Amino acid sequence: METIRIYLTLFATSIKARMEYKASFLFYIFAIMTFYIGQIGLLFVLLNRFHQIKGWTMGEMVFLYSLHAFAYGFTNLIFSQLINFDKMVVDGEFDRVLVRPLSPLGQVIFSKFEVSTAAHLIIGFTALYFGTHLAGIEWTLRKILLFPVIVGGGVLIAGGIRLAVTAVAFWTLRNRSLVHTVIFSSKEFINYPVNIYNMGMQFFLTFIFPIAFINFYPAHFFLDRSGEGLLHPALEMGTPIVGIIVFTVSVFTWKVGVNHYQSTGS
Amino acid sequence: MKPELFFKFASISFQKQVTYRFDCFVGIVNGFLYVFIFTSLWKALYSQFDTTVHNGFTLTAITTYAVLVMAVRISFTMDDSIIYRKVMDGSIAMELIRPTSFFFMNLAENVGHSLFHIMARTFPVVIISLLLFDISIPLEPVRLLVFIFSFFAGYILISMLNFAAGLLAFWFVEIFPFMLFKYALFTFFSGGLVPIDFFPEFLKPLVNFLPFQYMLYFPTVILTGRVPMAEVPSIIISQLMWILIMGVICSLMWNAGKKKLVIQGG
Repeated sequence: METIRIYLTLFATSIKARMEYKASFLFYIFAIMTFYIGQIGLLFVLLNRFHQIKGWTMGEMVFLYSLHAFAYGFTNLIFSQLINFDKMVVDGEFDRVLVRPLSPLGQVIFSKFEVSTAAHLIIGFTALYFGTHLAGIEWTLRKILLFPVIVGGGVLIAGGIRLAVTAVAFWTLRNRSLVHTVIFSSKEFINYPVNIYNMGMQFFLTFIFPIAFINFYPAHFFLDRSGEGLLHPALEMGTPIVGIIVFTVSVFTWKVGVNHYQSTGS
Repeated sequence: MKPELFFKFASISFQKQVTYRFDCFVGIVNGFLYVFIFTSLWKALYSQFDTTVHNGFTLTAITTYAVLVMAVRISFTMDDSIIYRKVMDGSIAMELIRPTSFFFMNLAENVGHSLFHIMARTFPVVIISLLLFDISIPLEPVRLLVFIFSFFAGYILISMLNFAAGLLAFWFVEIFPFMLFKYALFTFFSGGLVPIDFFPEFLKPLVNFLPFQYMLYFPTVILTGRVPMAEVPSIIISQLMWILIMGVICSLMWNAGKKKLVIQGG
């Protein structure tokens, strides 16, 4: 109980710190939204000209995007401090974390609150609304109940990947560019339906770097689409299981990393 | 500013980059990732139709565009947070008392940074793409010459944009939201992902009103041969006009900023 209270205090402090500059906060939300509207805008530009992408219409693409935005928004909320984790290691700040009688991972996670989640949720809900209308999704009770489960699975996949790539800093110290490529650039893959890529890449995004489970596979279930590409009907519901596997492996990697950790002495 | 001094600054900035070799390797992967996504996307889009030419591009032409626009974009890699960091740590005060132009010193640093990325990232990405994709670049000497000219003009424009955006640090404590906003507009309107030719008519006035297309789109289409040579002079004149406009904005901001600058202890 005491542990939870300490975590909540850490969390509240980080929110206060972030709210220091209110105008900056609002403009930040606005800037993130502009970026995502630009991305959806490019989809619109392409579909306005080509009507569909490998059988995916605008509405279906927008729905794909909304699943992605939700998963990514919650991942940002929980795992944002991991992006700058190499700095904590290089500056020796991680030493301070280790001497406290709390889980190091818990402390790192709760030490920063990421406001951009608000922008992701606005984008997510807007995309969900338009996706539902344009693609004519029928929301049965089963779909409504499974939606949070799929988003949760997506958060475990995206968060797990983040945790694993962050743990690399225990060995290499500076890993900023790797973190940015794996976390931000790789996101671009699932802005589009995964079946546009060649088989090798589809295999990679399904079994090795399984971000296709964040939106592509589960979208088939919500959109009542039949399988295509590498899709076996069983993969539609694979997201939560894949999420648990990825996250477990990542936490294990992190723990190995903490044991390997040697302070930089700064 | 004396040319020797310019090259000295550029070479220091180049050498700073060399120390991060791992980052550079990841950077190649990162650049190639975008090329891969967009070549796959265009292939998927074109395969849906019997017509082979869309908005003036054959599949080979659009693949060439996707590769070369990325190559130009990587070559334009620069650190847009230099000014912000100098204001934050107070070292901007040193720059103010130096007898050299701050703009040209900043440009020199950018050039060193970019030269490294051209050698270490642009060439590998282009070579890998030449081996993997069906690309055709017209090798006419005059075209290459005007491309180089237009490339430099685009480069100066981006430098000025980053310079002006960086100067906002003189007024605001937090400029990351501005940088993100700039990045969002740049990504959409520069033609960096989808060439301007595919934009719907109602967006064209806005595209023409903004300077972004002169940074990436025009240099690239001059190189790919999409634009007839007869149109090249008017493109270059427009680029020069934008350099003039941006130059005026930069110097107005610099002069106003110098008076406004507040350094927090340092």
